[in-house]
Amino acid sequence: MTSALKLSTGLWLAVVTAAMFLWVPAHEGLGNVGRIVIVHVPTGWLTSVAFLVSAIYSALYLRRGRAVDDAKALAAAELGLIFSVLATVTGAIFARVVWGTFWNWDPRETAIAVLMLIYAAYFALRSSIEDVTRQRRLGAIYALLAFITVPFLIFVIPRITDSTLHPNCAILNTPNCEGLTLAEGGRVIGQVSDFRLELKAVEQVGSITVTTVEVRNPDGTFATLRPSFDSATGRPVAIERVPDSLRELQIKQLSGAPGSQTIELALANVGNVGLLTESRTLITFFASLLGFSALFVWLWSLRAGLLSMHEELQAVG
Amino acid sequence: MNVTGAAPLRLVWQHVAKTYGSRPVWQHLAGELQSGEVLVVSGANGTGKSTLLRLFSGLEQPTAGTIRYTCGPQSLTPRAMRPQIGLVAPEMMMYRELTALENLQFVAAARGLARSTAALLEQLAAVGLSGRASEPVANYSSGMLLRLKYALALVHQPAVLLLDEPTAMFDEAGRELVDTIIMAQRQRGLTIVATNDQRELAWGDYVLKVGSAGQ
Amino acid sequence: MRSDKPASPALWTAAWAVARKDVRIELRTRYALNAMVLFAVTTAVMVSFRLGPLGVSRDARAVSTLAVLLWVAIFFAAMNGLSRTFVREEETRTVALLRLSTPPLAVYLGKLLVNLGLLALLETLVTLLFVALMNVRIAQPGLFALTLSVGGFGLAGATTIIAAVVAKADGRNALFTILAFPLLLPLLIIAVEVTEIALAGTGWSNALGGLRVLAAYALAQTVASLLLFELTWES
Repeated sequence: MTSALKLSTGLWLAVVTAAMFLWVPAHEGLGNVGRIVIVHVPTGWLTSVAFLVSAIYSALYLRRGRAVDDAKALAAAELGLIFSVLATVTGAIFARVVWGTFWNWDPRETAIAVLMLIYAAYFALRSSIEDVTRQRRLGAIYALLAFITVPFLIFVIPRITDSTLHPNCAILNTPNCEGLTLAEGGRVIGQVSDFRLELKAVEQVGSITVTTVEVRNPDGTFATLRPSFDSATGRPVAIERVPDSLRELQIKQLSGAPGSQTIELALANVGNVGLLTESRTLITFFASLLGFSALFVWLWSLRAGLLSMHEELQAVG
Repeated sequence: MNVTGAAPLRLVWQHVAKTYGSRPVWQHLAGELQSGEVLVVSGANGTGKSTLLRLFSGLEQPTAGTIRYTCGPQSLTPRAMRPQIGLVAPEMMMYRELTALENLQFVAAARGLARSTAALLEQLAAVGLSGRASEPVANYSSGMLLRLKYALALVHQPAVLLLDEPTAMFDEAGRELVDTIIMAQRQRGLTIVATNDQRELAWGDYVLKVGSAGQ
Repeated sequence: MRSDKPASPALWTAAWAVARKDVRIELRTRYALNAMVLFAVTTAVMVSFRLGPLGVSRDARAVSTLAVLLWVAIFFAAMNGLSRTFVREEETRTVALLRLSTPPLAVYLGKLLVNLGLLALLETLVTLLFVALMNVRIAQPGLFALTLSVGGFGLAGATTIIAAVVAKADGRNALFTILAFPLLLPLLIIAVEVTEIALAGTGWSNALGGLRVLAAYALAQTVASLLLFELTWES
C-alpha cells in the first residue's frame, strides 16, 4: 500500500516534470521561464501548509504531551524548510528573468524569508537543549509564537505596502486585477494605483481593436501606449510596457458595438496577467500541485515515523 | 487553608520514579505522611534525596507515579500546593543585591501576604538575624544565608516544610534553631528532612533510606 | 483549602512585587540600563557622523532613512538590555525561590511591566539623541509618540516571552536575537512605515491602518504569552 503510493507519487511527478517542459507551451511574452510557476507556486503554498501543520501538532503536543505529536511537528518543519528553499530558488530565477532582479523584498519574498528565519531559529533552539522533554516543549512554544506572527506578514503587509511584484491574477482574468473600465463616449479618464490613464482614441482594423491610451506616471511623465485586442479570438494582441516601470498595459475585455465599446484595461506587473490561463499550463499546474502535496504527505509520514522509531529505540536501549 | 481544622493534611506518593536521561534515580517509591509527623530521608550523596524534595515541592515532575496532598475530599498536586509549601535547600539562592528585609518583603508580597515591616523584622529576629536586616545579602556568611532561608520558608506559615540539608552550614546554636522550628512545625503540618547527618535521624517519626531498596 | 488559581488582587500584588524587586536590583546593578544607554548613544553618535544635520537632512529619502535608523537603534539596544531578565534568575539560582513563592502569571506580568518601563526610557533617549544629533524634525509629535508606544508594547511583549524561552535553553545569549528577530520583523517593518509618516507629517489617516496592525500585533503577542508562559516557566 505505502510502496504503491510511493511509486505512484514518483511516477506522477516524473510525468508532471516531462509535461512541464514538453507539453506546456512557452508563455506568450514570458517565454520558457513561465514554466517555472508549475514548481514555484505549489512549493510556495506547501511551505505555508507545512508551517500550519507544524503549529497544529505543536499545539497538540503541548495539550496531550505525546511524543508522536512532536515528531510530526518537527517533520513538518523540516519539510517546510526544504520546500521554502525550492520556492525561493525558483522564484528568484523567475524574478531575475522577468523583473531583472533576484531579490526585491517584495511582501511575499519578505514573508518567505521570515518563514525560513523562523525555521532556522526553531532548529537552533531545539539543538541547543539537551533534555528531550524540554526540547520538545520549548520547540512547540516557539512554533506557536511564530505561528501567530505569520498572519501579520502574509495578510497585512501586502495590503499596506503597495509595491508587490507578485501576480494577483495569475490564474484567471478576475476583476481583482488592477485595472479599470473606460468607454468610448463615456468615462475616458481613470486612476489605477499611482497611474492615470486617459483613453485618447479607438480604431478598428478588421476584428482587431487598437486603442490609444495616455499614461501619466507617478513622477509626472507621460507615455502614449497602443494596446490592442482581437475580438475574434477574445485575446489581447499588443501588450504594451509602461516605460521605466515594471508594469504593462493590456486590454482584458471588450464589449459593445464598434463606436460605443466598453474597454476593460489592466495595468499589471510584468508577467502578471494570465500566467495560467493557457489550458495545458493550468492542467499541468494542478497536476503538479497534487503531486507535490502527495510527496509532502509521504515524506512527512516517513520522517515522523523515523523520528518516533528513534525515540522508541532510545527508550529500549 | 487551616490544616489544624477538621481533616488532617496527608501527603501520599505512589509508584514514584525519576529518570535523568537514561539513568534512573529510583523507581517505585511509595509512602505517606500525615500532619504532625516528620519524615527523614537519608542516603548517600547522589541517591536523589534533593530530587525527592524537589518532587514534593513541585519544582520537578516525577517520570512516573503520582504525588498528592490531600485534605478531606480535596487532592492537590505539589504545584498547586505551593502556596502552602516552605522549602529550604542549598541550591535555592536569594537576591544578593537586596537586603535580608527586602528579600523577605518580596517573598511576602509575592505570596500575597500583607505583612508589616515590624512583623517581618520580628521574623528575621526569630531566626537570629536581628540587627542585620538592612545589610545586602551579598555580605552574608553562609550560616546567615541559611538562617535567612528559614525566614523566607516560614514567612507564610506553611503547612508543609521541606528541609534539604537543614544544618549543613550551622553551628550548635543553629542546630538548636532547626530543632525549635521542627518542633513548631509538628503543630502546624508535616515536615520532611533530607539529610546525611546521623544525629538528625532522631527528628523523624519515620526514616526513608533511598539508594538501597526504597521504603 | 485555597483553590489552584489565586484571586486576581493577589495576582497583581505579586506582579507588582516582582516588578519592584527587579527595578530595585536593576537600579543597584544597572546591567540593562548601562547596556541600553551605551548602545543607544554609540549608534546615534556613529550615525550622526555622516548623516548628521549637514548630511542626510537635505535628501528627499531622509525621512525613511531616519525612521529605519531609529528603529535599528531601538531594536538592538532592546536586544542587549532585555535579554537577561530571566537568564539572570537562572544564573543567580534564584529561580527556585521565585517559582515557589510567585504565581507564574505574576512573574510574567511583573517582568513585562519592567521591560515596558525600560523600553519607554530607551525610546525617549533614542528620540532625544536623534533630535539633538541629527536635526530630526518630527512633523506629528502625537502620532510619533503613539507609534513608539504601541510599537514598544509589541516589542516588550515578544521579548519577554522569548527571554523566558531562552533562559530554559542552554545556548542562551546567542540564541536571543536569533529567536526574537523573525518574530519582530513584521512589527519593525510596520513601525518604520508609520514612523516615516509621523516624521514627514503626511497625516493621521495614512497612519491609521499601520497603527491598527501594530496594536493587533502587540495584543496577539501578549495573549499568546499569557497562554504559553506557564508552560515555559515550569519546564
